[in-house]
Amino acid sequence: MQNLGLLAPEIALSLLGLGLMLADLLIPGKSSKLLYHFAWFAAAAALALIARGLSVSGGLPLPVVGGLWVVDPMSQFFKLAVLLSVIMTVMLCLEYGQLPPAQAGTFCALLIFSAVGMMLLVSATDLLLVFVALELISVSSFVLAGFERRNHKSNEGAIKYFLFGAFSSAIMIYGISLYYGAMGTTRLIDPQSAGLWLPALQAKGPAFTLAMLFILLGFGFKAAMAPMHFWVPDAYEGAPLPVTAFLSVAPKIATIGVLARVYMVLVPAAGLGFTTLLALLAMLTMTVGNTVAIFQDNVKRLLAYSSIAQAGYILIGIVAANALGLEGVLIYSLVYVAMNLGAFAVVQAVGDDGARGGMGSYELAAFDGLSRRSLALALLMTVFLLSLAGLPPLAGFIGKFYLFAAALSAGRSASGGVSPAVFYGLAVVGVLNSVVSVYYYMKIAYHMFFLPAHSGKGERLPSKDGGPSPAAAPVLHAGPYLYGCLAVAAAAVLYFGIYPDPLIANVKLSVPNLP
Amino acid sequence: MNILSLITFLPLAGALLVLALPKEKERTVQIVSLVFSGLSLVLSGALFFLFNRQTADMQFVERLPWIPSIGVQYFMGVDGLSYPLILLTTLLTFVSLIASLNIKNRIKEYFFWFLILEVGMLGVFASLDLVLFYVFWEITLVPMYFLIGIWGGPKKEYAAIKFFLYTLTGSVFMLLGILAVYFKSSPHTFDLLILLQPHANWERNFQILIFLAFYLGFAVKIPAFPFHTWLPLAHVEAPTAVSVVLAAVLLKMGVYGIMRVSYGMLPLGFHWFLPFLVVIAVINIIYGALCAMAQDDMKKMVAYSSINHMGYCLLGIAGLTATGFSGAVLEMVNHGLITGALFLLVGVIYDRAHTRDIKAFGGLAAKLPVYAGLMSLACFASLGLPGLAGFWGELLCFVGAFPRWKVYTGVSVIGLLVTTAFFLRMLEKVFLGPFNEKWKDLADVDARELCALLPLVVLTIYLGIYPKPALDLINATVGHMAGLFK
Repeated sequence: MQNLGLLAPEIALSLLGLGLMLADLLIPGKSSKLLYHFAWFAAAAALALIARGLSVSGGLPLPVVGGLWVVDPMSQFFKLAVLLSVIMTVMLCLEYGQLPPAQAGTFCALLIFSAVGMMLLVSATDLLLVFVALELISVSSFVLAGFERRNHKSNEGAIKYFLFGAFSSAIMIYGISLYYGAMGTTRLIDPQSAGLWLPALQAKGPAFTLAMLFILLGFGFKAAMAPMHFWVPDAYEGAPLPVTAFLSVAPKIATIGVLARVYMVLVPAAGLGFTTLLALLAMLTMTVGNTVAIFQDNVKRLLAYSSIAQAGYILIGIVAANALGLEGVLIYSLVYVAMNLGAFAVVQAVGDDGARGGMGSYELAAFDGLSRRSLALALLMTVFLLSLAGLPPLAGFIGKFYLFAAALSAGRSASGGVSPAVFYGLAVVGVLNSVVSVYYYMKIAYHMFFLPAHSGKGERLPSKDGGPSPAAAPVLHAGPYLYGCLAVAAAAVLYFGIYPDPLIANVKLSVPNLP
Repeated sequence: MNILSLITFLPLAGALLVLALPKEKERTVQIVSLVFSGLSLVLSGALFFLFNRQTADMQFVERLPWIPSIGVQYFMGVDGLSYPLILLTTLLTFVSLIASLNIKNRIKEYFFWFLILEVGMLGVFASLDLVLFYVFWEITLVPMYFLIGIWGGPKKEYAAIKFFLYTLTGSVFMLLGILAVYFKSSPHTFDLLILLQPHANWERNFQILIFLAFYLGFAVKIPAFPFHTWLPLAHVEAPTAVSVVLAAVLLKMGVYGIMRVSYGMLPLGFHWFLPFLVVIAVINIIYGALCAMAQDDMKKMVAYSSINHMGYCLLGIAGLTATGFSGAVLEMVNHGLITGALFLLVGVIYDRAHTRDIKAFGGLAAKLPVYAGLMSLACFASLGLPGLAGFWGELLCFVGAFPRWKVYTGVSVIGLLVTTAFFLRMLEKVFLGPFNEKWKDLADVDARELCALLPLVVLTIYLGIYPKPALDLINATVGHMAGLFK
């Protein structure tokens, strides 16, 4: 019981989530905005608790809680990233017009609960806890994705998401049962010494390998790795925009976090002979995500495929399985939160404009002439997109730089059954994919900067009929919270791009202290 | 703050200021841009008097930790190889901004992107840390994409994205090369000066592989055959001032990269590639010239002549002599001045006649005497007439390459003949012959255009008669370079 204090952030956040549900009953619908403020406050409180815990421990390894889970700088890092994305998502929700005000409390509580799930997930060292955490995330997310009840696409996306989620859970639980059969426990660390039991893992045979493979597939579904990504575009397109933004970052990095912990630290993929498989998955994920994204003309779908590709880049770090790789995974995850949420914030500013009777939609055509309707939004979008593409001096570049460096470094020290060509090939595929991604990211820039603004719904009015000339294009305004979210994202992308040393130094501190 | 950083980042300050101005204040935007770019020019001009011509060491060095966790530094410095190019960049950018005063739409964005472009170009030449170098290298891409794509010609979008993707494909391999070099060096470093120390312990195959990775990045930019296909398109579609900077400065980044990074850092790879390099140089010279010969579009002709001239630079480098190196650097500077002027002049006629078709004109010399004079001068300079700047660069390249590559140098001379032929053909068709009455209302060069052209023309003549000031800047460094791997 003495280390129950380590659970303080999760406990506090759960309680605040429950409080939100209660408050929903007490607060009348017209003041429902209060609930959103309550929600971001809750996330910020948890964030503060974690930050305080980190500053007390000074980056040293923290004790394990009964072997079920572990609180170390890496888990705390992912929790910070998750909570940051929760706060930014709530900011987006405050400006989003399509959410039913009457259910604001439910919405916020679900958001908070899924965040609690992610916080448990990145700390878990027991497969059952992993499973419970994943289910907590998934069940909350299914409901969140279908929150626009009157929107057919939202319903369709939620159902697909649910079916795929259920399927992947089944695969995962099957893997866990095999693991139990092989090991006699669901712990991922040795319960006696609370340390790694790597020696014991070597002799476990095919059942164990199969178990780890199924578990990997289960994670693959959640992190939307190709070829397990088919639920993503529909779920993302249908979900309310802030939810899409949230789903594209938080569950993804949380899954990446647990994936990194399990397959880089606790049960290294190299020992299982999974390195080549993971490398292929990474290549496939990047390539599929980027290639299909080229052909999208709905920005939500485009960013959905882009987020698939982004997970592929992060996988490079996991394949490399060295210190640089782990650092790269951490850096890229945090940076990805900022740049992807930033991009989605601009999409919301453009798309939600239509809901107010303007000219927005989520089609690419809605971005036509954005630079003349709001130069600031267009430039910010360009910054986020270029960062996603990995161009310097933006934060995305630092992340990719690290991941590619990790792959080359792993190639140099490759030994055992894995040929260095796997790592070098991965790096080459990675950089080529960055080039491909520039094509479709710049397609959005093309719509924003090169085309004139028009009257909406994809039909460009002929100008001789008195259609709006570029100069007369209505100025696009977004709300203060959306601008706040944009400011945070842009500051992070630019600051960590131009001066990444604080980020890198902190990540370096946290990586060697893994259990 | 160090003077090099000041030169590099003054345009950035200007760009941010422009961004903060309301877009209706077009005159203010123009003035701010000219002032900041002008300050950069003045400071880089001041370096001309402070520059020590006796040493091959880096000067005006500034070294700060940037990302100490992975050993990346903010490391700037210039020597005889990079300083002339910095001067060229600040001058040509300023000239281009003057030439851009006639841009009518979206002025604020135009000048913003142009100033950002200047930051990237200056940074490439001034940086001595590979990561910093790469960052600046990539910074040039985005403004160029927008400058071509928004203010360009009919196929601007296609030209813009083709430019972007081509250059990026090359440079991502350069990034892998940079990382590989980092892991190879011990202790791991991105410091270019340390990496340029002779290190025979890097095995040959590694050097060849990494050389190719870097070369891909540089060759696209030069552009060296067969990676040149983006260039005519980008040039034809880009607005005048952007073409000027593209030809005068951006192409030089590739040649500079080969001389600065590949040659010194990967000597074995470089020597392995040398036979290919000289063949590519000859192809660039002859093929570029022949392509230029086949064009009726004046801008496209000048664009192909750039490919031809970059061939001279490569030939000079392939000679591995001090003469060849100084020829290459001088040719870069001269080509910047001359081709900059040529693109400006093509822009002048296009602004008035809205065509660049050589065959559409005739007898313009009588109607536009000043224009005809300037154009003839630029053409003669470009084809290497003695007494004008172009001559010295080409001569030194040939002389430098001849001892090692007698046959190839001989063959390259054909390129000179073809160059002469297509420039004379253009001059004849446009300025001589019967006057085409359609153009009786054409006006001669106006004050804005003259302001932009004069510095280039004066320097072309001055360096043609007296190239010593330029060569003095270059000599110590190229002498050192040629002595590295005897």
